[in-house]
Amino acid sequence: MDLFLQTLLNGLLIGGVIATFTIGFQLTFGVLHVIDFAVGGWVVLGGYLAYYMAAELGLDGFLAIPVAFVLFGMIGYLIGPVLYNVRNSRTARPELMALALTFGLFTLLRGGMLTAWGFNTHSVPTALSGESLSIGPVTVPLIRVAAAAFAASIAGGLFVFLYRTRYGLAIRATAESRQNAALMGVNIRRLSANVYGLYAGITAMAGVLMGAIYSVNPEVGLRYTLFAFFVAVLAGLGSVGGALVAALLLGVIEAFVSTYVGSSYSLLAIFGTLFLVLLVSPRGILQRGL
Amino acid sequence: MMSTSRRGFSRRQFLGGSAFALAAGTLGMPFIRTARAQAPTFKVGVITSLSGDNILGGNLTKRGYDLWVDAINAKGGVEVGGDRCKVEMFYGDDQSSPATGADAAERLIVQNEVDVLFGPYTSGSTIAVQPICQKYQVPMISGSAESPNVWKAQPEFNFGIIPAVDTTAGKSLAVLAKMSNPTAKTISVIGVNEPFSKETGEGFRDGAKEAGLNLVAYELVPAEGDLTPVISKIAALKPDIVAVGGHEEPLINLVKTSKSLDFRPKALIMHYGVTDPAFAQALAADANGTCGVAVWLPSVPYKDDLFGTAKEFAEMAQKKSGHEPDYTEAACAASGLVLGDAIKRLGKKPALKPGDRVALKDAIAETDIHTFYGPIKFERKGDHYHDNIQPVPVLIQIQDGKTVAVGPKEAAAAALTYPLPTWK
Repeated sequence: MDLFLQTLLNGLLIGGVIATFTIGFQLTFGVLHVIDFAVGGWVVLGGYLAYYMAAELGLDGFLAIPVAFVLFGMIGYLIGPVLYNVRNSRTARPELMALALTFGLFTLLRGGMLTAWGFNTHSVPTALSGESLSIGPVTVPLIRVAAAAFAASIAGGLFVFLYRTRYGLAIRATAESRQNAALMGVNIRRLSANVYGLYAGITAMAGVLMGAIYSVNPEVGLRYTLFAFFVAVLAGLGSVGGALVAALLLGVIEAFVSTYVGSSYSLLAIFGTLFLVLLVSPRGILQRGL
Repeated sequence: MMSTSRRGFSRRQFLGGSAFALAAGTLGMPFIRTARAQAPTFKVGVITSLSGDNILGGNLTKRGYDLWVDAINAKGGVEVGGDRCKVEMFYGDDQSSPATGADAAERLIVQNEVDVLFGPYTSGSTIAVQPICQKYQVPMISGSAESPNVWKAQPEFNFGIIPAVDTTAGKSLAVLAKMSNPTAKTISVIGVNEPFSKETGEGFRDGAKEAGLNLVAYELVPAEGDLTPVISKIAALKPDIVAVGGHEEPLINLVKTSKSLDFRPKALIMHYGVTDPAFAQALAADANGTCGVAVWLPSVPYKDDLFGTAKEFAEMAQKKSGHEPDYTEAACAASGLVLGDAIKRLGKKPALKPGDRVALKDAIAETDIHTFYGPIKFERKGDHYHDNIQPVPVLIQIQDGKTVAVGPKEAAAAALTYPLPTWK
């Protein structure tokens, strides 16, 4: 029973960790209609920023969270219009062009990080790194709790923002129909820039936590991109709420299969679940978008 | 209307000019190649991971190979019949993928016309490149591959400097078990599910019985997976020793995850990665106490004419890269010593003809030298065919951020810390 409870907690926390970098990915798809291959690049950049601040300035990794949001939010804001132009160009298959652009951006980010920080694997020290709390038979890793809380608060904050503010209404209107939103006076180009900036900022903040939980090197970005994509497909592309549910589901499946069947079967179980959900409910588990 | 000449370039002129430049460049290339081929230079191809998941190890192997080429070229090149011929390196990136490694090898052989290859960082890529070496009859000296599967197929053209992990992991585990006080009784083994790491795990698993340890769990984990479930599972079994096969990134994640779950066995032994200074740097104080296996340390009592003593080699490497070299970097540098010795005995100047390359392969097989890395002599039969299993593994432990030899007794520079203190 002790192991069962620990496994359940592990699974929920793995899900919370994955959700941190998937929520923004979903928002971008919902509004810009772009599958952003660069998501893993933003995650790792956030991790490197925290590593830099800790190693060079002697600051706690957590202090990098607001800096990551502002810095990468601004960079994302500048990139957003480029992505918007490509996605809405009159060339054949603009959706593929946009995918290629984000793939190029990912390659550029990866190469840039390699040049700037080299190939060694680094870690981000924080006040909660390695800290745990024992509650009965269960050990609670605090850094992962912080990541799950971060994911929940970002999802909650986005929910309030999208459903309780006028700008959120404009974002949802744009996600539903760009043409109609534009006719209602929404500046789609500026909105796209804002959304991509918001996404890049949120994802880089998640990267600080990833660097603290796991480690940072330029090559781990692809892994985050793939996980974000799996979760997004399972959730239904564009569904922010679904991302949280799907990430938790995948986390729990991974934990239980690893513990009770064997770790080598965990990815098989994840892909099997993805396949089954696509077969039964191709629009994702919540069957709705943004 | 403005004339074209006044505007500078018309689009047609620009395209025409570009096409001409491209054609001239392409046509000119064979002349460049011929000019280079006429110089008495040995061409050595290096296949390694310069991008992808194994970029750290890939660059480490490259550093080792480069140390040799810089040292030998500083002396005028490799000795051939009383003369010296310089060495030119050509690099192929396997992108941490075996299939890409095979493509890179073929490109180096066919396009760059290399005389010999230095092998990849990973065993997976090494196995993928072996058929290419066989097809084009080009010898390859591997300074990094440690998987026993690399040698089981008895590759005719491939030679390995580092002993296969099945000859080292179990021995080191036995040393650890013997030195533990109170005596360790149980062990759990984790292997990352990719060729080298899995076979390292198997080496620990098989070695556990010989070491008199009771194996309570053996787990293979995917490289992309989260480690909390497997660590919680193993923590519940309370093993005295946890042994892990993996590369540096999963090893770092494993220590971090173990600490976050407040689990620390009495001893944690890993294989490759611990000896790389980046491991201790990433984990800071949390790296202390982690054991590893090394087949070479700067303190070993070996020397040769090119690099001098092991300590002098380490100082040279440190000066060049800013890092203390580990055994893979040393073995890669030693690969060059094997090549230099074989070329000297072969007595053929570059470029080597196909028959010469076969003769070079035979000369490499006859290697029996002593280097700063230790003795090098390749097996001629059995499961470790063409592998150098001469070096004796040393049990190391990170103490105060430094890698120190702790066993066997005759090699120990410090006492083994056992049992490890709890995290809190």
